[in-house]
Amino acid sequence: MKLLNKNILGLLSIIFFLSSYDALSQEAQKGDLNVSISYFINNNKIPYLLAKVKTKVDGKFKPVNVIPLNLFLDKDSAGTLIAKVVTNEKGEATAIIPASLKNQWSSSIKHTFLASFDGNKNYESAKADLTVGKAKILIDTTSDRKITATVFEMKDTSWTPVKGVELKIAVRRLDADLSVNETASFTTDSTGQATADFKRDSIPGDEKGNIILVAKIEDNDQYGNLLVEQTVPWGSKFIPVNNFDRRTLFATRDKTPIWLLFMAYSIVITVWGILISLVISIFKIKKIGEEIQA
Amino acid sequence: MKQENNSRRDFLLTGLAAAGLAVGCSSKKNAFEAGAEEGIKASGKKVKLLSVDGEVIEVDEAFLKPVPALPAVSNSEARLGIGGKKFVMVIDLSRCKNLRKCQAACNHMHHVNPGQNWIKVDPMQEAEHTAPYWQPTTCMHCDEPPCVKVCPVDATFKRQDGIVLIDSDRCIGCRFCMAACPYSSRAFNWSAPDIPAEVAAQPYSCESSVPQKKGTVGKCDFCPDMARKGELPHCVQACPNGTFFFGDLNEDSVSNGSETFRFSELIKDKSGYRLMEDLGTKPSVYYLPPVNRNFPYESGLDNDTKEKK
Amino acid sequence: MENLNSTANEKIIQDLLPQKFGKSGKIWTGILVAFCLVGLFAYYRQLRYGLVVTSMRDYVSWGIYISNFVFFVAISLVGSLITAVFRLADVHWSTPLTRIAEIIAVAAIIFASLIIIVDMGSPERFYNLFIHGRLQSPIIWDVIVITTYFFISILLLYFPLLPDIQILIKYKEKSSKRLQKFYSFIGSFWKGTPAQFKLSEKAINILCITIIPVAFSIHTVTSWLFATTYRPGWDSTNFGAYFISGAFLVGAGGVVVAMYVFRKAYHLEKYITADHFEKMGRIVVLLALLYLYFNVNEYLVPAFKMKKSEEAHLNGLFTGEFAPLFWFAISVGMLIPIIILLFKKGRRPLPVFIAGIMVVVGAWFKRYLIVTPTLLHPFLPMTNVPDSYRHYFPSWEEWAIALGSLAGAMLVITILSRIFPIIPIQETITERHETAE
Repeated sequence: MKLLNKNILGLLSIIFFLSSYDALSQEAQKGDLNVSISYFINNNKIPYLLAKVKTKVDGKFKPVNVIPLNLFLDKDSAGTLIAKVVTNEKGEATAIIPASLKNQWSSSIKHTFLASFDGNKNYESAKADLTVGKAKILIDTTSDRKITATVFEMKDTSWTPVKGVELKIAVRRLDADLSVNETASFTTDSTGQATADFKRDSIPGDEKGNIILVAKIEDNDQYGNLLVEQTVPWGSKFIPVNNFDRRTLFATRDKTPIWLLFMAYSIVITVWGILISLVISIFKIKKIGEEIQA
Repeated sequence: MKQENNSRRDFLLTGLAAAGLAVGCSSKKNAFEAGAEEGIKASGKKVKLLSVDGEVIEVDEAFLKPVPALPAVSNSEARLGIGGKKFVMVIDLSRCKNLRKCQAACNHMHHVNPGQNWIKVDPMQEAEHTAPYWQPTTCMHCDEPPCVKVCPVDATFKRQDGIVLIDSDRCIGCRFCMAACPYSSRAFNWSAPDIPAEVAAQPYSCESSVPQKKGTVGKCDFCPDMARKGELPHCVQACPNGTFFFGDLNEDSVSNGSETFRFSELIKDKSGYRLMEDLGTKPSVYYLPPVNRNFPYESGLDNDTKEKK
Repeated sequence: MENLNSTANEKIIQDLLPQKFGKSGKIWTGILVAFCLVGLFAYYRQLRYGLVVTSMRDYVSWGIYISNFVFFVAISLVGSLITAVFRLADVHWSTPLTRIAEIIAVAAIIFASLIIIVDMGSPERFYNLFIHGRLQSPIIWDVIVITTYFFISILLLYFPLLPDIQILIKYKEKSSKRLQKFYSFIGSFWKGTPAQFKLSEKAINILCITIIPVAFSIHTVTSWLFATTYRPGWDSTNFGAYFISGAFLVGAGGVVVAMYVFRKAYHLEKYITADHFEKMGRIVVLLALLYLYFNVNEYLVPAFKMKKSEEAHLNGLFTGEFAPLFWFAISVGMLIPIIILLFKKGRRPLPVFIAGIMVVVGAWFKRYLIVTPTLLHPFLPMTNVPDSYRHYFPSWEEWAIALGSLAGAMLVITILSRIFPIIPIQETITERHETAE
């Protein structure tokens, strides 16, 4: 019993010490967080938000994980909650606008998103907002390999073409977009259209020669990030040539070259055959010796 | 197989809308493409979401996870590699000024032992009167790799996507591969790796090369785990000068994140070459000669002296 | 054979039966055991902390363990030289030397395989060589060929030993009970009947023929561990022959040294005569000249061309940081023994013994020079590494393990010479008998 008391006392003092230490450290090193939001919409379907949280360490921005964020539509805490999210190791969190916000979403052509962090013992509270207008891209191709992308924005209740929006028209590649010709980016004209000639002849596609074209608007102040895709059969047919099963010196053990197997096994079998016959002759000698004894 | 096709089509129709969710730090990535190839199966659970037009759309839950639900790659899959791909790297020597951000990012992400590096930046000068330049070297991922030839236990192996990996669970530590590699790209774990406990506790995968193990060989792995997620290798992302380009030879394109080139055109226009072609190792890393440089050679020397201080 | 039990034979048997260790024998064994224990302790440290206890790093990834391995493989070749080659050539004067050569071969091959395990970073995964072994790798060839050579060496030691075992059993009072049990276990069935002799003779002949290509393989394959890479100094088509000639030389040197020591320790002057030293001296000088010839090939030809990749390596050996060691190995390992042994006076027991020691010591350092300097001259510059990666000098653990393995090999030789007659008794009797007739 005495021992237990002692233990509890010790524990209490440790807790006390830790809590006081904690309080001290709070005062000393509460960091500032930098929160930002981006808006994405792919193939004109579901819009979603990406929130990033960073902090400055030694003059460099580093992502911060496990930061709870509240995302709101149009107004802050009093208003409409989109989602509560927590950042991952990259300091990022994503949220989709839930179906329950249908009415609020339809009520306006422009929306302001708000991300807020209430602060914790390590960091001060932080906020960020982003205003975007509803927009979409349509992509159209012709048989003479021209790609036309048209950008619309929502005005009143209808989709209206927009002039002067910068966008990229490209071929989707591994983790990259290869522009369809030398022009890096295009700007829409008064009809909201941008037209590009496809100049990537015989670029490898899939087995049928299909490639994916993308038209996208990146980090636009008014519309956020928009992306549309279209599959066209303009690539060259790619037939993968797989040399992986060849028997080579750098292949795995189940693909040892036949000549090597033949040489190695014939040598090993010959030599060990001789050795085994010699061991047998030991037993023959032994048998002779034992017969004499008997 | 059929079911997989169905699920893929389903995914292309509806899921693409949410594809960007898997995005890392920029919008151009489509992790679901890689994910779909691996055969993400529809879960059957539908989630109601709002479209830009204000309509309610139902999307399968499986396609909505922020990081696509990639099945953990088994050892035998990691040994086979990603079908239909042939990874290549292009290093533009005219852009390198020995900043070694590539090295720092690689060391950080792979928890390489202090002092060792999987990427090195060599100060090169072929002869007395030829121009000096900085040459970053990774593993060359040779098509006829001398290191793989000599491995006695299949611990280092060549995959169908061109990547040469090491299985640290198999390696016996004979170091024959290190002697055989003419590019000196391999590093040995002479002692137990100096890594945090939570990293050491991670399940090992030869695709991530983490955690490294005492008494085994490690090296640049071309980050196949990143490729599966649809991201560029750490070194490519880290270089502020866009020195490294990474891509798929079968797609004929390489990218450094901000610029994307057709691989064949880039190599043709800039006279790309490979290191030590005479050895017949057939590397997967191409170099663009250091002409029309962005930085003078000397600007890189400061980084060396800084390091020493 | 029973009729041969004359007093002369009795004398031979009494002279050649294994003797108990005297005082010096005990001290000698004690020193060897002490070295082994220090080596074991160093190996324990290596197992615990990893290869970081060595001075090997990413550039010099192979150090004195590997040169020691090559040295052991080289010296083990002597078993096939003295026993097989001479027997097939019907040379009889070498009979008293055969057992010494066979024992050296067995001891060296045991420690060659042990030291290669010591060099492994993950020795607990040794079994992977058997369950995942791939035939494309020269290491697997080495594993196969070392196992084979070990087995052949044991057989070659065993067959000629059988008649001697019979004698050992007959002279019970000369050995302890435990040894007697061991003798009966391995050879009590040998009765010396003509049928048995016929089988045994045939087996020995087959062995002598088989061991030569296997011995060539073991050393050629070992040289291929280096020659199959691109590195300057290793990338040579000459390497197999170069290694084999070197191995014959160090093996013969080792036998000469062992001959002298056993002769002194066991007072075998009547059996290992000055004539044996004279003849072995001639062989050593021949082999040293042969090895010198291959060295000239190995260094002069690339030095004539001075390819860029070879330049730093060769300059390092000829005039650079390895020059003292290089010229030491060349002169002590070849030139000086050649000069000593070319003269008739130089082929008396003591000078031959000294030349033998020089050959063996020179050979050990030669192996070091084959392994390390090459690794310090990679194709791409050594960049972004700590300073310790740019040099190599073995740590105390490496020295302790290397010396421990050398002591271990000598311990095995010592123990085998304590258990078995160091000179084949039966064969000596037979030969004396034949010459008498």
